[in-house]
Amino acid sequence: MEEKPIVEIEGVSKTYQAGKVPVQAVKELNLIIRKREFSVLCGPSGSGKTTILNLIGALDTPTRGKIFLEGRDLGELGRGDQARVRRERIGFVFQSYNLIPVMTAYENAEFVLSLQNVDREERFRRVNRVLQEVGLEGLADRRPDELSGGQQQRVAIARAIVSEPAIVLADEPTANVDSATAEGLLDLMEKLNREKGVTFLFSTHDQRVMDRARRLIRLQDGRVIEDEVRP
Amino acid sequence: MRLNLLAWRNLKRNKRRTLITAFSVAFGVLLAVTFTASGDYSYTNMINTSAAMGMGHLTFEPQEYNDNPTLEKRLPDAEAIRKQVTADKAVAAAYIRIIGPAMFASGARSTGGTFMAIDPAAENPEHNILLRNLVEGKLFTESSDRGVVVGARMAEKLGLKLGRKLIFTVTDKNGELTSELSRVTGIFRTGDDAVDGGIVLLPMDLVRRTLQYEDRAASLVAVYIEDQRLASALQRKFAQTVPLNRGESIFTWKQTQADLAGLIAVDRMFNYLMQFLVGLVIAAGIMNTILMSVMERSREFGIMIALGMPPVQVTGMVLVESFWIGISGLLLGVLITAPWFVYMSRVGLDFSRHIGEDYSAGGVLIDPVMRFRLYGENGLIIMAAVLGLTLLAGLYPALRAGRIAPVESLKGHH
Repeated sequence: MEEKPIVEIEGVSKTYQAGKVPVQAVKELNLIIRKREFSVLCGPSGSGKTTILNLIGALDTPTRGKIFLEGRDLGELGRGDQARVRRERIGFVFQSYNLIPVMTAYENAEFVLSLQNVDREERFRRVNRVLQEVGLEGLADRRPDELSGGQQQRVAIARAIVSEPAIVLADEPTANVDSATAEGLLDLMEKLNREKGVTFLFSTHDQRVMDRARRLIRLQDGRVIEDEVRP
Repeated sequence: MRLNLLAWRNLKRNKRRTLITAFSVAFGVLLAVTFTASGDYSYTNMINTSAAMGMGHLTFEPQEYNDNPTLEKRLPDAEAIRKQVTADKAVAAAYIRIIGPAMFASGARSTGGTFMAIDPAAENPEHNILLRNLVEGKLFTESSDRGVVVGARMAEKLGLKLGRKLIFTVTDKNGELTSELSRVTGIFRTGDDAVDGGIVLLPMDLVRRTLQYEDRAASLVAVYIEDQRLASALQRKFAQTVPLNRGESIFTWKQTQADLAGLIAVDRMFNYLMQFLVGLVIAAGIMNTILMSVMERSREFGIMIALGMPPVQVTGMVLVESFWIGISGLLLGVLITAPWFVYMSRVGLDFSRHIGEDYSAGGVLIDPVMRFRLYGENGLIIMAAVLGLTLLAGLYPALRAGRIAPVESLKGHH
């Protein structure tokens, strides 16, 4: 049975102004991402991968078209509601980890739950469980500068999944780590997808990520040129 | 995670910058205390000195006496007023006095001036600048004495010495000229030529007899209060509680010493203006530093907003940082200001070499030693103003932080 759609993109275009020149980063895009998918957006630089993630993540707004997240039109939301959708329904994993440097691994993972006003005991339970899942037990009190790149990205993954979002958007998550660490991170995310049903949408150049994808969406010049679903 | 803790950790990240910013706040405290405390001291000193020249902080007197102090105008039962106001806890002392114009003569020389009739048994030098500055002899002892205390300048003009005779001529309550003889028992020197050459102290009973006043009559009742700032409140209170005859009124020093009040008001406004301008300069410096720290962390703020932190909370976090900078600056300010304040309160800076001992303004001798005195409420106002300015300085950077677009701040950090 086909899973329920999480993200529905209908005729979306995004045009930026690069100085005085308009640049169309995404053109008439139609796309559906379903629950439990492990999908990858790939394509050369400038093909629109990151722009699409930003649009789905309510970090940016389309010039034309509509994006629905769990049936809700993101274009209808004000700034405050967009922030609420991001903290409650979307997990982010960024290329350069982007942890808050003054917080420990535990506090970074806890951050989104604090924003959601989850009570302290529940936070403690969930954060410790997630840190264990990503293999960071014993490192909870370390700050980002006391962790390796791979460990930092694991904290970022923990932060992204701890609130049990509808979808995790991961922008080049393996770009800044060595091969072994990248494989480890992918194993982890695959496991979370398989065992916990976490929906992942990646943007990447990395062949290793593409090889693991169960759906590969190739982009060029802001358009989907291939949408391959793998068994 | 609580905003407070996060803000505090952010401040600890760049300790040197935080310390420099806190020092700017502390410097603001130092300047504000210096401006305010020197004002509090000098204004209070001038007001008390002015009061000690005869009229008190509050004066009960007949209508129009202040504008045209003739001896026909008097309070028939000044003693009753004095008794009633003395019972008030805020009142340090109250004296009945007759003050008016007179001619003074000794031998062939004469001069015009003002006499002040006092009760020697009641007078306290603390409230009488002339008695505080006796340089020769002493005050007459009986109210009915024929003693007189003159200023050094008048003594020079009339060739007076202790024990010499002085004839004073006044217009009595009926408008008749009348003269009396007295002998010099003391000479004072305040340093102000107008005072030393124009004012004479005479015994109350002698003057009453001379003017044909009733036994309890006087020109005025001079009221001295512990805290000059209460003058207006006490004026309102006494206006309701002290029964006065028709035409009798109560005035504050601001009304009886309008020149001085004007001078202080102008000086105080200038003082506030200076403080405001200095505060603005310091606030601009603080704003610049906080703005710099916000710009450096724009990526972090972008991440926080991307993760769903409401922009208003980001703004709040920077404001909390400003608040802690303000609190740290205040504590630091108290630490660096305390020794300066103690020194200035106890010792002060002596400007007598530059302005002399007899510098006066608004008809009042100015203390050539600059000292500090800070009223509690002014101390609180300084703290609130410094904290408020620090928060104000943090407002623009805080709003900038809340308006950061995550997409923009995350760009270029891949």
